Amino acid sequence: MPQCPPCHSSSSPAVTKGLLILWAVPSQGGRPLPPPTLQQIQALVRHMAEDAQELFTFYEENQHLAIHHLCRTNRPPEWLRGPVLGPGGLRELRGTMARMAQALQDITRHQRDLNPPGAEILRRLASTHLKVRGLLSNLDGLFPAPSPVPGHRPPASPTAPTKIFRQKLAGCQILWSYARFMAKLSARLEARSRREKRRSHRGPRPPTRS
Amino acid sequence: MMNHFIVLAVLLPLRTCYTTHSQQESTVFPVTYLNVSKELAFQRLLVEWDVGKSAHDAELAMSFEIQVRRTGETTTVWTEFHNVTLDKSGDPLHWMWDSDLPLECMSHSVRIRTKAEASKIWSEWSPWKTVLGLDTLNDSGPQIFPNEKIVEEGSDITLCCIGRKGHVIEEFSLYPAPHVFNHTNSQIGLLTLKNVAHQAVPHITVYCRESCTEEECYDHAVLFVGKPPNTPNDFSCETQDMRTVTCTWSQGGDTYLYGNHSPKYTLSEEFSQNPIPCTVTCSEQCSCSWDIGQQRIYNITMTVENPLGKKTAMDVFDVTHRIYPAAPFQLWEECRDTEITLYWKYQNKGFELFCQTEVVQPDGKVELHNSSDSHLHYASITLSGLQPYTEYTARVHCAAAQHFWRWSEWSEAQTIRTMEATPSGKLDIWREITQVQGGRNVTLFWKQAPGFRANGGSISYEVTWEKEEGGSKLERMSFSSACNSTRISIDNHSYRVSIMAKNDVNYSLPSVLIIPRGTGTEEELSGSELQEEQINGTDDGIFISWEPRHMYDSYIIDWCNFPTLQPCDLQWKRFRPNTSSALINSAAFVPGVRYNFHIYGSVGNRVSLLKKKTGYLRELPPLFDPKVEKVELTFNAVTLSWDSYPTNESQSGFVRGYHVYVSPIQEVCSLQGSKKHVLPDNSVLCKYTIENPEEKRYTVEHLLSNTKYKLAVKAYTGGGETPIVNFIYIDTPFNSNMLYLLVLLVIVPSLVAAICRWKLNWVKECCCPVIPSPNKSKVLSFKEFKNGSEKVLKISDCIPDMLAVDNKAETQELHPWSQLSSAPTEAKTDHNSSWIYPNENEERAFTHTPTHQTHTWFENFAYSSHFADESCPYQIPETLETGKPELSVVLYQPHYYFDIFNEDAASTPRETPGRKTSLRYISQTDVHCLGRRL
Repeated sequence: MPQCPPCHSSSSPAVTKGLLILWAVPSQGGRPLPPPTLQQIQALVRHMAEDAQELFTFYEENQHLAIHHLCRTNRPPEWLRGPVLGPGGLRELRGTMARMAQALQDITRHQRDLNPPGAEILRRLASTHLKVRGLLSNLDGLFPAPSPVPGHRPPASPTAPTKIFRQKLAGCQILWSYARFMAKLSARLEARSRREKRRSHRGPRPPTRS
Repeated sequence: MMNHFIVLAVLLPLRTCYTTHSQQESTVFPVTYLNVSKELAFQRLLVEWDVGKSAHDAELAMSFEIQVRRTGETTTVWTEFHNVTLDKSGDPLHWMWDSDLPLECMSHSVRIRTKAEASKIWSEWSPWKTVLGLDTLNDSGPQIFPNEKIVEEGSDITLCCIGRKGHVIEEFSLYPAPHVFNHTNSQIGLLTLKNVAHQAVPHITVYCRESCTEEECYDHAVLFVGKPPNTPNDFSCETQDMRTVTCTWSQGGDTYLYGNHSPKYTLSEEFSQNPIPCTVTCSEQCSCSWDIGQQRIYNITMTVENPLGKKTAMDVFDVTHRIYPAAPFQLWEECRDTEITLYWKYQNKGFELFCQTEVVQPDGKVELHNSSDSHLHYASITLSGLQPYTEYTARVHCAAAQHFWRWSEWSEAQTIRTMEATPSGKLDIWREITQVQGGRNVTLFWKQAPGFRANGGSISYEVTWEKEEGGSKLERMSFSSACNSTRISIDNHSYRVSIMAKNDVNYSLPSVLIIPRGTGTEEELSGSELQEEQINGTDDGIFISWEPRHMYDSYIIDWCNFPTLQPCDLQWKRFRPNTSSALINSAAFVPGVRYNFHIYGSVGNRVSLLKKKTGYLRELPPLFDPKVEKVELTFNAVTLSWDSYPTNESQSGFVRGYHVYVSPIQEVCSLQGSKKHVLPDNSVLCKYTIENPEEKRYTVEHLLSNTKYKLAVKAYTGGGETPIVNFIYIDTPFNSNMLYLLVLLVIVPSLVAAICRWKLNWVKECCCPVIPSPNKSKVLSFKEFKNGSEKVLKISDCIPDMLAVDNKAETQELHPWSQLSSAPTEAKTDHNSSWIYPNENEERAFTHTPTHQTHTWFENFAYSSHFADESCPYQIPETLETGKPELSVVLYQPHYYFDIFNEDAASTPRETPGRKTSLRYISQTDVHCLGRRL
């Protein structure tokens, strides 16, 4: 498979979608893919931020939750509260994305009881879930880590609602918090990228990761 | 005494019965125990009560009136009478009531009263027994009931929202918002939906809000509107291999319930009373398969269930009757020229199969061939009666031979070509002979006759010819499959030509043609002695007929598809011996082209020309107009000629004649022999028709001289004629005869008059002397009147023209001339005299010319001195106007008269009557004429 050139911050969504697919597909012929660059991660995060906002807007409307701004809570789940880039940098993002992937699976499962197969909301949730897994895959490539224990899954939410409306509302609030989280993360990465560009203009420095 | 005892014996039981009955009538059994509970899953109230033991012991039939009341409502919401016959067991009584309002929404109270059926008296009501609703609790926030519910489409539902104590429900609504009954502004909000319909969205969201905005002031609920599952009406089970049974069915319509609420399918077997261990999978159809073991007969019940209902479908079957074999596979074949043996394999063969082979022929026809298998692992069928070297497509499907259930799927289709064989049938051959110097050129044509089959891939043709009498070497030529004609040169001897088709296997039978001995003349070949007949085409082609003759074994018609081209694409068609007509059509036939057809009779490979016909598919108007080459013009006629105009095959129709058009004067066609013809622009022409196409000259007569005309000549065919576009313009010359006539009528009389005036005296002397000489009178010029030199007039022999009698001497004083000159009218003349005309013509010829001029009369007068003595025996008294004496002027009808408007030259009118009267003469011819008429 041809190597993808590094993406610039101004790359189009189509390019970043291509990146996502590139990383979502397992490597061929047993050869490991080269790790993504920070710019690629940054482009993917920007695309995911836009996607998260679109998903939330659609979900809120589709589930009739726009009334009284029920979803737009100021109390996001703990794992989405941040800071978006803590002392561990992007490395810490893996845990958040793993929890988000699990949350999206739960939301999708709930929505399957409410919608016919192939409904638009299910398609969008699947698409966002794929992007989250793509970012996780990118992060795994960027920060190789010991293999996780087989069957290890992130802990479930402590108080998973059982009533349908509560499930809908909880899912909506998670998507709202996720959209805000990704927006902040994208902004932080953009700011960091600008800083590093300014530094590189001042004098050459060895490339660093995170 | 005995009787008294009997009476007492009867009355005593009656008394006892009456007493007991009276006691029962007056006894009431009030409720001794009442308990009310609720079953929230079904929104149902459970009521339990009891009456006294004595009622049970008496096994009374009792009636219970049960009332249900809700909190805050003054009237009961339900009243029901419940009849029960008590038993001695003493068990309490039960009653259930399904509430249309969630029981959580408000408290419900029940009370009962009783009555023995035999009694007329109801007991007292029991105290109200209440089950509390959740409205009495002080919860952490408002609550909607039911909170989640699946509602059947078309049903009704009531929801409530219970607010906290001291709070009012301010908003209680749905999204999407159907028409609802909404009751709020209290602690409990109520909302009723009637005839719930499925909305475009998958579920309905219910909102409830108290009169505050904090998060705890809200509650939400979800309603699903769906349908119970449909009964699967195509549930059916079958097996492919007698080891596994598969049941299939359709999903039915959308229930609008998804995920966990979607329909669930379960299968069970009634004989074994066991559920079927299979997993249902649904895509287009649902199916479920399981291993059958040794069981052969099944009674399968399939149940489909969702939260709104349950439906079942059943199928009872013997597995051996439900065999749906797998499609045959691995087809292979053995080929011959007219036979194919097709083989195929089965899968899991454990039962006898009956197979059907479908053969698609090259023309698309489909044939089915049945076969039963006889081999263990494969089957075969031999398809015979096929055409050599032909592609067939075959496929097979099978079914159980013993108990047909249904055909398997078709196998893959196999395309097979049979082997080559000798060409079958003969070629259809024809010839065209052209006379050349020293012999003939013969163009030979061949084509595959309808019954001919090449039976091979590569076909070629072989042409041989030799003298019929023998003694010549056999000439031979071969041609590829692309050729269909060749030209050979032969002398004037009779030749035998043979043409065969050849493939990789063999030659076809030869087709033979005898070229007869030639005389060396072109006429022999062209058949010029035969009359060419004209024929007309139809929409379907050109119809040709001929008289069949018994000696011919076939007839041939040939023609050229493109008669004007060289080569002309000669075509021929062969007909059976009893044929006498044919409709010839060709895609090359176009209207306006003349096609020539030759009809031949064939006997023993020898042909002879029978008829020649020529015609058009459809005649068109002539391609061009006759060119008028000569115009001969006179003052009243024009002659047009167009001799060079062709009427042959170059025309687009048979020229039937010509039309000559002439523009009329003042748009009115008055020319003799013509017809009025109106052009599209409504202008009018005179049309002359010439019906002989060889008559190419025409004279238009009766034209006016010195006039401009426009003319046109058009040829017409069976297809009509073309529109008139061009005209010939002519100017007829001046008519000189008219000039001569003018000269005769005007100038000559003028000259005569002038001469007369010039020689007036001489003329007067000659023509009108003062005293005319009797010798000059014509009357006296006859021989019998001559007496020597004197002429003698016998009055008795005279025949008078007119008789006038003058019976008044005064008339001498009257001057008719003066009357004429003053009032020269006929009326006046008629009054003065009586006229009898010899005949009508004379009457018309005589004209009284009214004039005011004086006249000089030249007359032949006869004198009569004894008129009074001799009366004419033929005289008619009526002619004498005795009643009008004043007008008795004798007027004489002269034989000749001539007025000269000259007073000087003529004697005055006054003199003339005087002269007449004084001479007293009268025309004797007048007397005779009148007498003869009588």
